[in-house]
Amino acid sequence: MSTATATRRTEGGVEAPPRRKLTPLRLLLHGFLIAVALTWLFPIAWAVLTSLRSYEYTAANGYVSFGGWTIDNYVTAWQTAEFGKHFLNSVYITVPAVLLTLFLSSCVAFVIARFSWKLNLVLLGVFTAANLLPQQALLIPLFRLFTEVPLPEFMSDSELLYDSYWGLILINVAFQCGFCVFVLSNYMKALPRDLYEAAMVDGASIWRQYWQVTMPLCRPALAALATLEVTWIYNEFFWATVLMRTGDKFPVTSSLNNLRGEFFTDNNLVSAGSVLVAIPTLVIFFMLQRHFVRGLTLGASKG
Amino acid sequence: MSRPRSQAEYLARLVPPSVAGINRRSLLAGAAGTGALLGTGLLAGCGDDSGGSDSKDVSLGSNQSDPKPKDVVAKVTDGFKTSSGIQVAVNTVDHNTFQENINNYLQGKPDDVFTWFAGYRMRFFAQKGLASDISDVWGKLSGYSDAFKKASTADDGKQYFVPASYYPWAVFYRKSVWQQHGYQTPKTLDEFTALAGQMKRDGLTPIAFADKDGWPAMGTFDILNLRINGYQFHIDLMAGKEAWTSDKVKKVFDTWAGLLPLHQPDSLGRTWQEAAQSLQQKKSGMYLLGLFVGQQFSNEEQNDLDFFTFPEIDPAIGAKALDAPIDGYMMARKPKNEANARKLLEYLGGKAAADITVKNDPATLVANTGADVSGYTALQKKAAELVGSATEIAQFLDRDTRPDFASTVIIPALQQFIKDPKDIGGLTSSIESQKKSIFTD
Repeated sequence: MSTATATRRTEGGVEAPPRRKLTPLRLLLHGFLIAVALTWLFPIAWAVLTSLRSYEYTAANGYVSFGGWTIDNYVTAWQTAEFGKHFLNSVYITVPAVLLTLFLSSCVAFVIARFSWKLNLVLLGVFTAANLLPQQALLIPLFRLFTEVPLPEFMSDSELLYDSYWGLILINVAFQCGFCVFVLSNYMKALPRDLYEAAMVDGASIWRQYWQVTMPLCRPALAALATLEVTWIYNEFFWATVLMRTGDKFPVTSSLNNLRGEFFTDNNLVSAGSVLVAIPTLVIFFMLQRHFVRGLTLGASKG
Repeated sequence: MSRPRSQAEYLARLVPPSVAGINRRSLLAGAAGTGALLGTGLLAGCGDDSGGSDSKDVSLGSNQSDPKPKDVVAKVTDGFKTSSGIQVAVNTVDHNTFQENINNYLQGKPDDVFTWFAGYRMRFFAQKGLASDISDVWGKLSGYSDAFKKASTADDGKQYFVPASYYPWAVFYRKSVWQQHGYQTPKTLDEFTALAGQMKRDGLTPIAFADKDGWPAMGTFDILNLRINGYQFHIDLMAGKEAWTSDKVKKVFDTWAGLLPLHQPDSLGRTWQEAAQSLQQKKSGMYLLGLFVGQQFSNEEQNDLDFFTFPEIDPAIGAKALDAPIDGYMMARKPKNEANARKLLEYLGGKAAADITVKNDPATLVANTGADVSGYTALQKKAAELVGSATEIAQFLDRDTRPDFASTVIIPALQQFIKDPKDIGGLTSSIESQKKSIFTD
């Protein structure tokens, strides 16, 4: 930056950094940033705006108009799509799937990062490669497989892996593990080796090194991953639609379709439903936001 | 024992016995950890209503996800419970998902009875052995015209389908607009064109039109094809037996191209709701659509809505055939409770179920003629008469042909035609060559 700011900073000591001079380049940068921010915000703002207007009004006056404000769309959406029930279904799938994904992938990552065996790189490669595979390509074999695997009745009333929450949890865990292993193993590799030596000296078993030494240190990474995984698994729509048969068991993303009529689709109502469905991901993000940012930057600089 | 050369090598040698042979303590700790993870949400979620498999229940997979029809299904199944004591577990999946998933659904573990459509789509699954023959149920049903029985019969001559409701496609208009301008119902294509020309001079859009979703234009193609070439040609063309490059098909497109300037322009960016609103707002003179067009009209305006069947084009063919998609029920390949499923189908096809439907949903027409239809509106009565007098009932283009052909070939082709109505030769030969790759067997 300019010399002026540099000198002022040395004089000012601890006071807040001074305003930077406005140069044409800076103006351009800010103009660009504002434009990008608006482009990103526009669809969301538009959806929220649409969801707050009545269909009759927008049908008569078009969407580029002002008026017809109502919150009925939200009430109707909640009731007709039975969101209460379907949100709970999403919880049944998302919570165990995220916990299981994090647990299993941290185990793999721990082994890959902690021990140097010949197959480490291959193992990591296999887990990461699964990430690149288009999930849809596996649809037919998985569908056949799921209709063949029996479950006891107390686990699912379908008595099959097909049309059960277990099946969906399994699918999500399988597809999400690759990415988590990749991230966690890289993170764990950055942990100082001395810790393990110290732990060994104190007689800690492998399990202890994993559970009581590594895991607490990985909390930021785990929180960041948890945020992402919750969002991804919660938003997962494809498998729930294909591997579920009972409408009442659909997670909330798949049940959003309930708002579409056979012939007639009220776009305002669908907007309201979409906004409702998006809320939990926002809540999770803001709850774990602190960890999220820390997780991204922790280890970037060594103290 | 050599000294380790690197830190990694050193650490690697420190593998404790717990890795080689898992000891009791770590196994217990691991099991406890996994158990804690598994236990958090699973047990609460997965043990839901276990129905049991006694002979007092039957399951029904329903695509009736709109509020009104859903309510009707609930009332009808209640009626079945009262009359037979058999509990129906209704599994409602939204209409579009149900339709797109039907292949998976039927090959997985379908419900005993499920909602589906008459026509090619019914015959397709009957032929694949994914639905059961229910001719014996038909033996006990009464009140269906031959046209409905024909629509429920598969290629092997057996019935696989119980019709429940239907709706006709016709040309809709507002009575008040027509009275104001003194329009008369056209009886021939020439009268129709003259009327549309008059509407244009009166400042109206003659024919409302929309094809953003791809399927509404199929209705126009169907009715022109039925009027120009007749019902049997429609069925054969849809089954892939007739060539799209034939002069007969070209004549349909030619006629349509002549009518297109009378249609609402820029239709590819418009949904049918918006086109229907132009009719409702008295900006358009008429609209060829299904009876569901009424959903865009308020309750007070319903009485102002009227229709006529598309006029005759060829006197030798007449104007007696029309599109009237029939919705109904089928039985899965291996139902869990077959006896109950047959009983349910018999009830669904009977008068009692039809009466409940009429009473609770004023937007549908019931297939069973024995039903008490005194609750019909004037529009419904007229629609029922129209379909009752039809010599043949087509099911609509995308229900009369392979779904993949309708969605991947016909929709883009018709949209292409609307964009550029001049190149009919190129369009039809493109459809024909794609058809050959889809209808391979």
